[in-house]
Amino acid sequence: MGATTEISARAALVRDAIDVAAVERLVADPSCGAVLLFLGTVRDHQGDRRVVRLEYSAYEPMARERLATIVRELEDHDDGLRVAIVHRLGDVPLGEASVVIAVASPHREAAYEASRTALERLKREVPIWKRETYDDGDEVWREEEPLGAE
Amino acid sequence: MRVRLVAFATASDVVGREPLAFDLESDARLSDLRRRLESEHPELSDLWPRLAVAVDGELAKDDPPLRDGVEVALLPPVSGG
Repeated sequence: MGATTEISARAALVRDAIDVAAVERLVADPSCGAVLLFLGTVRDHQGDRRVVRLEYSAYEPMARERLATIVRELEDHDDGLRVAIVHRLGDVPLGEASVVIAVASPHREAAYEASRTALERLKREVPIWKRETYDDGDEVWREEEPLGAE
Repeated sequence: MRVRLVAFATASDVVGREPLAFDLESDARLSDLRRRLESEHPELSDLWPRLAVAVDGELAKDDPPLRDGVEVALLPPVSGG
């Protein structure tokens, strides 16, 4: 079946611009009546500070494994649901996508729920960090959520 | 035994982004590695309470014994997405 290869393609870390249409193709299927795409994009501010540069870093082996766990558990939870999560690493220009989540589902309700859950779990369970550089030259690694168990 | 240490984000600001190797006693636990690290990088003491620590990709609870060849990762609060 090659299921392992397939799931790793749907739980990926990339260094270049994310090809949104390609992520959609990873999940699209004639059995599904809904495909939902979520793009998390790089904001030009953090509170009242102006962000001029943003870099993402990951503990890559663990991040890939945990993304795959999220994909697998969401798919196991709903019949016919397919999920892909692609996160970009390195410098991400303002306005471009740092993460793309695609969900295909026979019915839209399950797709909305899975998309939200995928992002919320990613933000707590996957070892990825962003480093913001502000217009005053200050740089900081953001610490937002303690890394939790899966 | 020899263990490999990798650090990320704020922890990499302290110990660097490159993997480090540490030679430890054969019965060493995570707390022994922590003592070594804090003696070399006293700034780590403030950060440590906020860190999650993974041993070979599994989050460590309490103070696990280490084994030769394991990879210990210092993981500050995350900010992906």
